[in-house]
Amino acid sequence: MGLQREMQYRANFWVQLLNSAIALGTGIAAIAIVYLHTDTLAGWSSVELVTVLGVHLMVGGFLRTFVFPNMYRLMMDVEEGTLDYTLTRPADSQLLVSVREVEMWSLIDVVSGLGALVWAATRLADRLGPAHYLAFLLAVVCGSAILYCIWLIAATLAFKVVRVDNVMQMLSGVFEAGRWPVGVYPRWLRTGLTFVVPLAFAVTVPAETISGRVDWPWLAAAVAAATVALVAARLVWLWGIRNYSGASA
Amino acid sequence: MDAPVVASGLTKTFKVPVRQGGLKESVKSLFRREFRLVEAVKDVSFEIGAGEIVGFLGPNGAGKTTTIKMLTGLLHPTAGDARVLGYQPWKRDKDLLRRIALVMGQRNNLQWDLPAEDSFLLNKAIYGVPDSVYRRRIDEFAQRLEVTHLLDKPIRNLSLGERMKMEIIAAMLHGPEVVFLDEPTIGLDVTMQRRVRQFVLDMNKEEGVTVLLTSHYMADVSAMAERVVVISQGSLLYDGALAGLAERFSSHKTIRVDTTDLPADLSGLGRVLERTPERVTLEVERDRVSEVASRLLAAATVTDLAIEEPPLEDVIERVFTQSR
Amino acid sequence: MTTENPFSLLSYYRAGARVGFQRDLQYRMATFMVLVAFLFEPVVYLSVWTAVARAQGGMVGGFDEGQLAAYYVVWTLVRIYNTAFDPKAWEWRIRDGRINTFLSQPVHMFHRDFSFFMGSKIAWTLMWIPIAAVLTLIFRPSIAWHPVNVGLFLVAIWGGYAVRFLVLYVLGMINFWTTRGSAIFGIVTALEMIFSGRLVPLQLLPAWAQDAAAWMPFRWTFQFPIEVLIGRLDTAQMLAGVGYQAAWALGLGLLFTVVWRAAIRRYEAVGN
Repeated sequence: MGLQREMQYRANFWVQLLNSAIALGTGIAAIAIVYLHTDTLAGWSSVELVTVLGVHLMVGGFLRTFVFPNMYRLMMDVEEGTLDYTLTRPADSQLLVSVREVEMWSLIDVVSGLGALVWAATRLADRLGPAHYLAFLLAVVCGSAILYCIWLIAATLAFKVVRVDNVMQMLSGVFEAGRWPVGVYPRWLRTGLTFVVPLAFAVTVPAETISGRVDWPWLAAAVAAATVALVAARLVWLWGIRNYSGASA
Repeated sequence: MDAPVVASGLTKTFKVPVRQGGLKESVKSLFRREFRLVEAVKDVSFEIGAGEIVGFLGPNGAGKTTTIKMLTGLLHPTAGDARVLGYQPWKRDKDLLRRIALVMGQRNNLQWDLPAEDSFLLNKAIYGVPDSVYRRRIDEFAQRLEVTHLLDKPIRNLSLGERMKMEIIAAMLHGPEVVFLDEPTIGLDVTMQRRVRQFVLDMNKEEGVTVLLTSHYMADVSAMAERVVVISQGSLLYDGALAGLAERFSSHKTIRVDTTDLPADLSGLGRVLERTPERVTLEVERDRVSEVASRLLAAATVTDLAIEEPPLEDVIERVFTQSR
Repeated sequence: MTTENPFSLLSYYRAGARVGFQRDLQYRMATFMVLVAFLFEPVVYLSVWTAVARAQGGMVGGFDEGQLAAYYVVWTLVRIYNTAFDPKAWEWRIRDGRINTFLSQPVHMFHRDFSFFMGSKIAWTLMWIPIAAVLTLIFRPSIAWHPVNVGLFLVAIWGGYAVRFLVLYVLGMINFWTTRGSAIFGIVTALEMIFSGRLVPLQLLPAWAQDAAAWMPFRWTFQFPIEVLIGRLDTAQMLAGVGYQAAWALGLGLLFTVVWRAAIRRYEAVGN
């Protein structure tokens, strides 16, 4: 039985690997097509744009591995009223609901995103120093934290509005916009992607950093945005469980 | 007229991949798989006459569903033949399909997000039921199954039992001549079960619908079917009157005596199933029943004595455990 | 699929489409949200290509900004007409036994699914109208409102739907043999993304890729209807395109009947 499951896992592994390769392939194809017709897109060269793709895949992989499965389970728990078990545990409830599930194979996306980043970074190596790598790390951590907060806030809405899958689906649609640097978009969309769903901080800023163009004010803004997001998510979560207990009592 | 359902020597053999332990073997099995033959149904023959209700019994995995699938054309038999209303079912001739119905589990016929009425309309179009007939049947069926007030509620908001009733209405709308009901009452509460049974009986009596029915509930079978076909491990074990089942498969009857002065030791008479100060229930071998009864009457002042066939559930259980 | 009485089949299509229409109208909020989520994809492409066009002095591959805008605004409608029965859904249909009910009915389930999605498209189109109005105000697309274009566009989106429905339906047959079809579906989806004109108008692809696209059905489901409405084709080209759609639909229909027979033979042998 264990071996059969093992084989099943293997099959999942290959399927996931293939899907990841397809995502990487279409991403690169899209970039290649664009640069058939131009040398620069909103100030980005093709190699620089690969860093955007790399960060997008990597952060997407992080979301699919750790965030989506937990948020999905949270929504199911709220819908079926089985969250009580978790809430009564003697540990921080927000932490608990965020670490219950791991979708391991999506880590492949993280790896393939990292691969794209390494490819691009070696081509941009003469611009990059240790400070860039450190700044990149900081930017990625801030970006991931921001995205986690956004999805947690959306899932917490499930306490009030029972069906939030549509909101989730829409967020996933928005996340796709992160494949390209936000500078490409018209102003209204750029504003939205900076202040409402800050993909600017989550994808564009890290990519800028790793392509050797650390913009310190933007990096500082990313740290600030991450802080704000964490506090906001915390407040919304506390409000949410207050509402939840209120509802079941 | 020929019997509407005829199975002659129906046999179905499945090729099942052999799973082997060990990682090496598992990898190998990705390329070359070994197969084992499983005989799900072996040489099963029976007929169902027009207007008959036949209960189809057997433990899980006995081959009931496989047989029903062959009779409804979903599976091609490995050997043997079948005729439903004169057609070979697996040819899936449209004329045949228009005249039969299959109810297999929940929500198969119904559109989950929409009121039942919408799914009924779809079935009306599938089977080309004329408007007037459609309206009359919906009203009548819904009333009999007590779901008139639920016709405009989305299926997802209905209970399991209500859904099953809708499922049955959908299947009966086109006035099928032969109906295959696979576990029509599973998961329903007792009142609902009774309602569904009555409905099937009415359809049978009033419209002459021929029914082949499988169920886990003996109560279903004994309420609806006078005849049963029993299969176990793919082979036909019994085909005949429900009443004859006990006679055939149970070597014992029970004798219940109401009395207060029986001797303490009854071991010579039979196995004591139950004993209270006022009543004794004994299990007695079939050919000793009259002898034991007269000995009981002679030995004590008996206020009441009843000789009974053992409960059908017990008989069936015995049939299935014996043959295993 | 054959030997249906056309009249009863018509009434069946009406009933099937009604179910699809009702269902999506019932979930109009959800449908609307999905439509809005759909929007991000073309807005992203449009932004990218507008940026490229600007960098190149206003034109890219023969498209100016207004035409690019038109392309991706019409894109949103064509996208709706490209939704069809998901090949993965066959796995469920087989596993939960629904397929048994459908097989035991005298109308082929192809008609059930095809008519269902037709109805659903009408509901979606109704909800798309306000979105299209907003998009038109923002992006100012240049549409060819000539009656020939509009008329042929109506033909072409339904033709595109028929072709794509058949492609997915044939692909779905894989589920009768294996439950691991998702790898193949993934590859086809990726090919379709690039060779249909969904990602980018095919004129912007390198020449070899444009040649490759000519051998696939995808451009007839996506790019062709768009081009009809934005007026990039002359009448002869439009009529030829509809002809290509018909030819693909016919070919895929024949392929489907062959594959379907094999699939059902297999299903009858193993069941499930």
